[in-house]
Amino acid sequence: MSKRAVDMTFQAIYTLTDLRALLRETAPTHEFDAKQREQAQRLLENLERQVGSLKQEMLK
Amino acid sequence: MRCGQGIEARQVDELFINIDPIQAGGRLTADAMKAVVAYGDGYSVCDNCRKPNRLDYIAKPPIAEFHKDLATWLNMDAVRTVPGARRGFQAVAHTYVKKGDPVLLTSLSHYTEFLAVEESGGIAREIPANGQKLVTPDAAAEKIEAVKKEFSRAPVLAFIDHVDYQYGNMHDVAGIAKVCRQYDVPIVYNGAYTVGILPVDGKAMGVDFVVGSGHKSMAAPAPSGILAATAEREKEVFRTTAITGDVTNRTFGIKEPEMMGCTLMGVTLVGMMASFPHVKERTKHFDKELANHQLVMDALLSIAGTTCLSEYPRKHTMTRINTVESFDRIAETHKKRGYYLQSALEERGITGVIPGATKVWKFNTYGTTRKQAEHLARSFVEIARENGLSVKG
Repeated sequence: MSKRAVDMTFQAIYTLTDLRALLRETAPTHEFDAKQREQAQRLLENLERQVGSLKQEMLK
Repeated sequence: MRCGQGIEARQVDELFINIDPIQAGGRLTADAMKAVVAYGDGYSVCDNCRKPNRLDYIAKPPIAEFHKDLATWLNMDAVRTVPGARRGFQAVAHTYVKKGDPVLLTSLSHYTEFLAVEESGGIAREIPANGQKLVTPDAAAEKIEAVKKEFSRAPVLAFIDHVDYQYGNMHDVAGIAKVCRQYDVPIVYNGAYTVGILPVDGKAMGVDFVVGSGHKSMAAPAPSGILAATAEREKEVFRTTAITGDVTNRTFGIKEPEMMGCTLMGVTLVGMMASFPHVKERTKHFDKELANHQLVMDALLSIAGTTCLSEYPRKHTMTRINTVESFDRIAETHKKRGYYLQSALEERGITGVIPGATKVWKFNTYGTTRKQAEHLARSFVEIARENGLSVKG
């Protein structure tokens, strides 16, 4: 296990937190405008990358 | 979904527009939520505590720097973080009020100001609000004169709420402070609904202390708050310990008795710090918050029989509304009685109005986006129309 795994765990939580903030900002309908959709897409891609790194670090 | 045994995960602000009057300004920023994750452990901010071993001296995380920035932002000389505004009131009252001393409050003061006075043995004397529910400098002067007649001396302290919790009205603190200074009465500015919401300049208002609430208005976890003082008052309220143990001969460095040593540790403080840059920025855009609030007010006031009990036009986003002649008339015959309004709001993804309230209630739109404010406005009008109330326009 490495510092990288710890960093990635926090990074992933922070990315999820940004997604949570987006849900708050758009409550109750959660209908995204173009900018919010773009932001959600970027965050979800980051999250996938972070989870991918975590898999590599934790399951190697 | 649970976040612990028997503890339901709270998702109120993710699923609803929350217009609870006291919750709006305390919603965490994303950065504060991240800080909560990183600093949740009890003594988390103490990893790098070095001599002189006091919270406000810690450089990593940058707590010392935060204290300086906070004082500058409020235009005061010193600041401490405290576990809620009430602990700020308590520290000041305990410093200045002795048994039997008269203390000036107002007829709209928060109960914790009264309790702080009571704990120190003081006697409460209230400046009455006028017919518009406003506390004026003239009324303050009259009350001080009345206190002088009754006690043969002026009050030893005055607590003035800039925006009161009952009506969300904005009172002339600068004018009242000017009067208090003429009688040498130190003044505590209660900024529970202003510090973190709109610009606050302590020295421009001429106050001795500024108290703010972290969990009410600074997007910080509870319990948190701030107490700021002028250079003159700093030496008094933030005096350092002088006690010595007779057996051990121990002394306690620069710990401050009114703060009981270190105050906000861990998640409350770091949450407040993480939100601070966002909070500073948002106070510059209070006009946008008022514009969103007005949108909702226009909708509510378009419903025949609805009146605003707070001062109008609004200067704050928390408002007391009277729907006795509108929504409450429906409650008389509705199968859900008074709960129909809350139920109809929740169906539209809106929460925060007291369940069952259809007569007089408060709400706060602070922090809503334009789209959310439009949704609120539309929803109130829809509910009114669906229930046969007349709507103008």
